[in-house]
Amino acid sequence: MKVGLPLLAASVGFVAWAAQPGQTGGPTVSYDREVLPILSQKCFKCHGPDAGTAAAGLRLDSFDLATKDGAVVPGSPEKSLLIKRTSAHEMPPPDSGGKPLSAAQIDVLSRWIKQGAKYEKHWSYVPPVMQSLPKVSDPAWCKNALDKFVMAKLDAEGLTPEPLADKNTLALRAAETLTGLPPTKAELNSYLKDAQSGSYERYVDRLLAKPAYGEHMARYWLDAVRYGDTHGLQLDNERGVFPYRDWVVRAYNQDLPFDKFVTWQMAGDLLPNPTTEQRIATGYVRMNITTNEGGAIAEEFLARNTFDRVDTTSTVMLGLTVQCAKCHDHKYDPVKQSDYYGLYAFFNSTKDAPLDGNILLPPPFVKAATPEDEAHLLALGSQLTALRGKVDAAQAAAYFDSHKAPVPTAKDWQISLVNTFKSFDEAFDTASPGEPGQNGITRWTPFSYSPGQPAAGIVGKDNSSVYVRGTLHLEKAGRVGLGVSSDDGVKVWLNGKLIHSNKTSRGVDQAIDQVTADLRAGDNELVVKIVNGAGPDGMNIRIGSPDAKRIADALAAHAKGDDAGLKSAYLELGPETTDATRYRSIAKQKADYEAAIPMSLTAEEMDKPRPTFILKRGQYDQPGDKVVRHLPAAWGAWPKEAPMNRLGLARWLVSPQNPLVSRVFVNRMWQQHFGTGIVKTVEDFGSQGEWPMNQPLLDYLATRFQQDGWSMKKLNRLIVTSAAFRQVARADKTKLGKDPENRLLSRGPRFRLDAEAIRDKALFASGLLLQKVGGHGFKTYQPDGIWEGASDPASSTHFYTRDKDQQIYRRSLYMFWKRTAPPPAMITFDAPLRDTCVVRRSVTNTPLQALTTLNETTFLEASRVMAQRVMATAPDDPTRLKVAFETAFSRPANTAETKLLADALTAFKLRYVNDPGAADQLVKVGDAAQAKVASYEEVAAWMLLCSTLMNTDEFLTQH
Amino acid sequence: MDPIREAELLMTRRQLIGRSTLGIGTAALSRLLGLGGLTTLAGLAEGQSRGFPNFAPKAKRVIFLFMSGGPSHLDLWDYKPKLHDQFNLDLPDQVRRGQRVTTMTSGQTRFPIAPSVYKFNRHDNNAEGIWVSELLPHTAEVVKELCVVKSMWTDTINHDPATTFMQTGSPLPGRPSMGAWISYGLGSMNEDLPTYIVLHSKVSSNKPNQAVYPRLWGTGFLPSEYQGVALRSAGDPVLFLKDPEGLDRTTRRKMLDTVGALNQQQLEASGDPEIAARIKQYELAFRLQTSVPGLMDLSKETPETFELYGKDAHEPGTFASNCLLARRMVQSGVRFIQIFHRGWDLHSDLTVDIPSQAKDVDQGCAALIKDLKRTGLLDETLVVWAGEFGRTVYCQGPLSQTNYGRDHHPRAFTIWMAGGGVKPGIVYGQTDDYGYNIVDKDGGIIDPSIDEFTPGAVHIHDLQATILNQLGIDHTKLTYRYQGRDFRLTDVHGHVVKDLLL
Repeated sequence: MKVGLPLLAASVGFVAWAAQPGQTGGPTVSYDREVLPILSQKCFKCHGPDAGTAAAGLRLDSFDLATKDGAVVPGSPEKSLLIKRTSAHEMPPPDSGGKPLSAAQIDVLSRWIKQGAKYEKHWSYVPPVMQSLPKVSDPAWCKNALDKFVMAKLDAEGLTPEPLADKNTLALRAAETLTGLPPTKAELNSYLKDAQSGSYERYVDRLLAKPAYGEHMARYWLDAVRYGDTHGLQLDNERGVFPYRDWVVRAYNQDLPFDKFVTWQMAGDLLPNPTTEQRIATGYVRMNITTNEGGAIAEEFLARNTFDRVDTTSTVMLGLTVQCAKCHDHKYDPVKQSDYYGLYAFFNSTKDAPLDGNILLPPPFVKAATPEDEAHLLALGSQLTALRGKVDAAQAAAYFDSHKAPVPTAKDWQISLVNTFKSFDEAFDTASPGEPGQNGITRWTPFSYSPGQPAAGIVGKDNSSVYVRGTLHLEKAGRVGLGVSSDDGVKVWLNGKLIHSNKTSRGVDQAIDQVTADLRAGDNELVVKIVNGAGPDGMNIRIGSPDAKRIADALAAHAKGDDAGLKSAYLELGPETTDATRYRSIAKQKADYEAAIPMSLTAEEMDKPRPTFILKRGQYDQPGDKVVRHLPAAWGAWPKEAPMNRLGLARWLVSPQNPLVSRVFVNRMWQQHFGTGIVKTVEDFGSQGEWPMNQPLLDYLATRFQQDGWSMKKLNRLIVTSAAFRQVARADKTKLGKDPENRLLSRGPRFRLDAEAIRDKALFASGLLLQKVGGHGFKTYQPDGIWEGASDPASSTHFYTRDKDQQIYRRSLYMFWKRTAPPPAMITFDAPLRDTCVVRRSVTNTPLQALTTLNETTFLEASRVMAQRVMATAPDDPTRLKVAFETAFSRPANTAETKLLADALTAFKLRYVNDPGAADQLVKVGDAAQAKVASYEEVAAWMLLCSTLMNTDEFLTQH
Repeated sequence: MDPIREAELLMTRRQLIGRSTLGIGTAALSRLLGLGGLTTLAGLAEGQSRGFPNFAPKAKRVIFLFMSGGPSHLDLWDYKPKLHDQFNLDLPDQVRRGQRVTTMTSGQTRFPIAPSVYKFNRHDNNAEGIWVSELLPHTAEVVKELCVVKSMWTDTINHDPATTFMQTGSPLPGRPSMGAWISYGLGSMNEDLPTYIVLHSKVSSNKPNQAVYPRLWGTGFLPSEYQGVALRSAGDPVLFLKDPEGLDRTTRRKMLDTVGALNQQQLEASGDPEIAARIKQYELAFRLQTSVPGLMDLSKETPETFELYGKDAHEPGTFASNCLLARRMVQSGVRFIQIFHRGWDLHSDLTVDIPSQAKDVDQGCAALIKDLKRTGLLDETLVVWAGEFGRTVYCQGPLSQTNYGRDHHPRAFTIWMAGGGVKPGIVYGQTDDYGYNIVDKDGGIIDPSIDEFTPGAVHIHDLQATILNQLGIDHTKLTYRYQGRDFRLTDVHGHVVKDLLL
């Protein structure tokens, strides 16, 4: 924007504001609520906190700055240039694209100045305090404290709430909002039958105790932290981090207090002696998208990765958007550019490389054993210890002394000249000087080599060979094992005789050829030929079998008084006693169990943090002034004795003086249950965000949450047991007029279910849903070419191979999430891609969604299996119809509904009785077995009926 | 303002206002966005008219032909005859000026010059004529319609960020794509088809291809109804469009009527206008099941048309076939059509692969221009051909007289536009003798800045601003408030390049 004329310079067009009566009277103007939004939108772009662009040196964001040159003259709007210039439509400058202030806006500013132009801190920067409960018109309606706040608001707006909904509705609503699934028939019935007071609360407690609760809650958190199973950029290869996802589920189910939940994720690695779970939780820090695109510059991606971490943390934890301050001081909120890099400095010093290597597990990572895994392994381990305790060391040593395999010594290593050929074949096949039986003379030079260690770059050229020889010495003749690795081809001679040949192309770490060598007593000559095709080359020769070496080492340790190795070697390699057999079996069990435990990416802090500089314009290669880790001043004080690292940052987040974290989280929880937050802009609590619709309610929840020990279950229980949540979801004309979006909560919540909940509900209705917590992401039905058509053939996630077993009926939370091509049915229903942080999904209503629930395989299969299940439960159509309806909606049908469905069923049956071939085609959908309950004509008709139910608004909506 | 267009605009407004008084569920009907003519109606009903176009548009729609991977401007468009004497000589330091190169070539000890092996021919346009590579014989026939920009530049040097930048105005994921912005701002022009359609093209070369993914036609933080609908050449053109086997239209109709009646009951009971919207969506879905296959059915196209597009056009999924589909979509009122063609990332063996790459797209491009022209649609349809960056004049990897590779080059590359109110038959901007730096008419190096418009150079944001401008959208006004900030396609940059416009 062009820098405007100094505010002081002109005063033409002054509007006689004072001529209008009544402007100075009336209630007190709130700076934060009424004035700041105007200044922020209209003025701050040039006269705000960004000192770098303060036009004409004027800033309007504090009392001192605004009053020093007369822009604001407290008590005297008529003298204030702010009023003069805006009234004259000189500000914002007409050529800036900004619209002039409305008369109402100028009136607000005038009254504010008249009242003394008091500045106050933005509401969200002032820590919440416990609110006293307001008086309400109908205390009998209120079920808990929250309702007092809700009703006070409704009273003020002249609205009355709705009565409580019926039990069927509440059963479904509570189950869907807490577990993402409808209640089972048994759960529903036990609640319906419970006539005692408190039945709803007891029902809610049962829901909160279900594993499905944690799965459902985790889904929202995973959106926020942008969880995915791939790196997210370019090749978009798979990454190993699903144990983090499972940990989030577990944390919700165990009701890990939110302060710990946050601290472990932010800085579990920095806690004293971190547990495996605390380390898994740091997957949060690693969750940003990464790349290893050819040609990418590491410093550039270090900056990008760090930006992503800062931006996500500030949105998820603080509900603040700081990314503008990457390039310049924030225009609207008190975050300077140096502050941004002060935050950046907390996140730019983890050990993970900026480029991910395109591999599954870019270090660091942890073997992600769950507490149950660890207990199981510990139990097996103590059984092994007990068995080892029974071994007599002297007996074991004696046994091995008489049974040990010989281990030769090796010495005098030498290397030949390199021989170069036109092709790999020629290099491999041609005998060059140095090869046994070849008469030519080569120049042998001493070669420093330790057996068992790789030697790289010994050939150094493509299509070339080299010979390495050494002397093996053994006292008595004997058979010895050699482990031969090579890059690429290899031949081995012992005493002039070829004992191994492998014409291969490989890396030196890829394979070990097992070779048997019969050594004579005394010295033996070993010759190894290494043939390189192209690129790197190398070899590794291990002498003696690993077992022989282990025994030799164990005996050596025994001689020094350490028997541990000897005892386990005796049980594993000694005579087959009963104990040894048991030991081997348990050891194998333990090894297999351990091998099946997945790895998970973690964050680890570097020993010495990287220095941090302001990056001019956010460009990685334009460092400016050096900055140190710090918080923006307006965000409050650093907790005493907290370390200046991620752990300290986490401690600050969950400290009582933090004004934002608890508000931001309870607000998102509110959004989950009601569809909209108390602050609608859940991602922005800054001065550009929405003012809370009901701040006392928000602050009560935020403080209560902390008083309740940050218990997320208690928070959820409080919300869903409120009368506000339990109202009938019904809107008449008055309410649609006065409260169109139900922001005031004049009725119960009603909104479309999320993508995952819709799919899960269909599977649940069919009985196919497999409720198994955790594990590698599954791949279900997906049209051909979704991955293949979009990805690089070199990607590890180029080919989509769907799972063929029960896996495909798991909850949608566990779908394998390829971030550049997520499951299409999910995306159609507004699931985010998970490449950036999303705390508020859009909720759309499109024909593509209709096509998905009408025609996608999972939904068709679910309707077919649901039909077969329904038909198996009852012999007659009226009962079947009742069962189908109640399965879908958790309530009985009314007469009109029953008639509509019965008519449809008749039509469907007629259609398929007349065309059995069509029925055969329709019912064949999906992997699930065909239950033999009726003819395919009947199944087809019932399948369409079930599909009809699944496509109604009622099925797709939480209400 | 063109009086006819003005009348059209006014009429649309009046119709919309008239229709917005229909009453029931209009707010909910707004959720039809992205499909159906009621899009803008919704905005008005909610009192949130987005007010676009905010001046008379020159173009009603855009066809964006995206060459993913970065086509070599030096082998296709930017003729550098002086390089023939400089084979294998080092690129002078005063040309490279120490600028960053990717880590694929930053380790090279030399930057040897690789002159193009392809012959260029001069063709008359409406200005001084233009040199076009022999690889593009068909496109060369339509240069009188093309506005060729030889001085494009971009900020980013790697594919993923550069492609994301071209499509969304930001190198980082998370922003809406250009098509989504346009759908959001302008809404739909038809009742039965998506507003924004994406087509992927088969590639003849076997080289690994850069990925293209939904984020490139996604909505970022805009409501997801504005996302591009990717039509597929195999299987259902729109995902889950086809009813299952064994379900005929009459039975489907009966089923949808039952769904509709049940929904109507719920609407009456709950009063939630969103249910009215859902009823409407199911009807639209039913119509899409006919309209999309109709769109994809090329059987009624004449032999002359197939002659124009070439025999590839008979094969679904080829670039030529997609161009023909694009013309049909234009006729059916689709607003933004994005055709992707991949495989241009030729780091090595460029001369092995670029002929087939060029052949894949050449005739389709030319045919599309000719076809739009002859049907009178070119004037109001903006066609854009571009990749995410250009390629280096110096060789990557082995260099011979007949073969070479080229690395990514963001500092200068060539794109073209046609129709939609851009000047036909001109060339804008030029590069130095190495195709490395943008230069002025006297050969002086221009160092373009993102902060202000640099005459002679066109930044990605300038291109985006210019495309929006042709649609009647002031790029600084098409904003969306998210996370407390007004975002726009061109971030805080971008200038309409007036010199390109009629």
